[in-house]
Amino acid sequence: MSAIAAKPGANAGAFQPVPSVIAIVLAIILVVVAYFLGSAGILAGGAMPVLQTLCLIILGAALIAFGVHFVPVGGAPAAMGQAPGIATGVAMLATGAGLAGLFGGAWAAELGLGVALASGAIGGALMMAITCLMVNISYVFGMGIPAASGKVLKDPITGDLQAAYKSQGTEGHGLPFISYVGGVIGGLFGGLGGTLIYIELLNFYNVGLPALGFVGAEGINMLAVGLAGIFAIGMFLVIAVLSAYNITGTIEGPHDPKFKRFPRAIVAAILASAVCGLVAMLVVALF
Amino acid sequence: MSVKIEASHDGIPHNKVMVIGAVISLVSLYIAIIGTTLGVDYLAFFGGIAAIGALIWGNSTIKKLCSYGIGTGVPSAGMLAFGSGVIALLFASTLSGISIWIVPVAALILGLVVGLFLGWISNSVLNMKIPVMTRSLAELAAVGSLALMGLGAVATGFVGFMDIATFDLLGVTVYNASYLGAGIIAVSFMLGAIALQHPFNACLGPGEKQDRTNMLAIECGFLSMIVMAVISFAFVSLIAAWISLVVAVIGWAVSYVKYVALSKRDAASWLDAKPFSDSEE
Repeated sequence: MSAIAAKPGANAGAFQPVPSVIAIVLAIILVVVAYFLGSAGILAGGAMPVLQTLCLIILGAALIAFGVHFVPVGGAPAAMGQAPGIATGVAMLATGAGLAGLFGGAWAAELGLGVALASGAIGGALMMAITCLMVNISYVFGMGIPAASGKVLKDPITGDLQAAYKSQGTEGHGLPFISYVGGVIGGLFGGLGGTLIYIELLNFYNVGLPALGFVGAEGINMLAVGLAGIFAIGMFLVIAVLSAYNITGTIEGPHDPKFKRFPRAIVAAILASAVCGLVAMLVVALF
Repeated sequence: MSVKIEASHDGIPHNKVMVIGAVISLVSLYIAIIGTTLGVDYLAFFGGIAAIGALIWGNSTIKKLCSYGIGTGVPSAGMLAFGSGVIALLFASTLSGISIWIVPVAALILGLVVGLFLGWISNSVLNMKIPVMTRSLAELAAVGSLALMGLGAVATGFVGFMDIATFDLLGVTVYNASYLGAGIIAVSFMLGAIALQHPFNACLGPGEKQDRTNMLAIECGFLSMIVMAVISFAFVSLIAAWISLVVAVIGWAVSYVKYVALSKRDAASWLDAKPFSDSEE
């Protein structure tokens, strides 16, 4: 494959209607398959709980994919102060925020769905808020550069002028206020989605494992926690990396033009989580 | 987005590496399974060999995939591989209820199927337009699933779901101290993912050589195996755990020395900086 032929086209960020429709149809087929597996008794708990579990897993994945687009990812240029954002990749940042939220939510899982989801969301948001603050401290006081965006003239929230503070030859640097807010919102959505996937899988395994023959011993809940935890982490990483592929590297936050690509990532997350979620639920299938 | 930069094209072609890695991995897993069916667990260390075979394969795939600029860095590919691999692995391990012999092949096939979905999504829905994307993500999911199964076999000696989900504590079956229930699979997840993404990430560049990258992959595999061998003291018999640990440490030491020698070979010049020098001034 020659390099010239594979150059990215102008429509690299465009929505792909035909593959998206195919992806949605495939996801619906998988959900229907799950419904019939539930009603046939292969998946424990009956048809409606199985349907609810898979649908909420898909919702959680869509939240994660949406949230990843808010996070200001700078990558290697940001490490050199030549682009705004946090100086690492999307996968690492989203994983950090999402797993912090997931652990927070998992701790609160026994306090009910609402409390668990709230603490998951706040855990993720807190993690991102601390990260963004420390990043700005090291940028401003360590590297001696002000925060300025290269993509917009004025900060959409505060109205501060950006161009006057931007160094020549860079795309901006540091974390402007809008990027900071975006990071916190991204952590909020990521933690919420990750916790939703975890809680749904946990409830499902708590029903499914006894039906599989795991009875009569202490710690069956711990086994469900372990299974749901590792599946939630795995699914979170899959969705986060797919969203990272959608962003292709760096994004400044919700004001970045690349943010408009998020519908693609949500479609991708719906199909990916339908596949992964169904396989994860089949672990406790009664063959 | 999909501009190919040249990675090294010397040495063994990718398809050959893939076949070699997959065969090493599957054969080693079957040797470990033969051990468990015979009732002995000192063949558990073959799980580590299986993980290393899978890592060599995955390393070559990552090299092929990341020679196109995917824009998110090499580590994301390793995380995606194990994220999808763990899902395929755990479902495959439940098939041990049918027969233990189909588990490794099922892990390979399920990984390929889950990976094919993800690869199609990346290429079509997300419009990545990278020619090797679908195939690479399918291979990576299979690699993740095989490597995790290998690391799990080192730690527990088993690959079946019932065996890794339960733990026999003084004659009582408990779940919370098992490989799954205690969350040790998360440790092997991260050990495997880092061992998969590190070699090419560390060696990439114009001077990248296939044998050096592969040696680093082997070294990372043995390094992960050391940790799993230490963990295995809790699960397998003492002699089996010591065998795993000694094999892992010797393998790591040999591959590390060889890797340093290869790095010296490829370096323009070499200065021993002597971090622990005795100069006081």
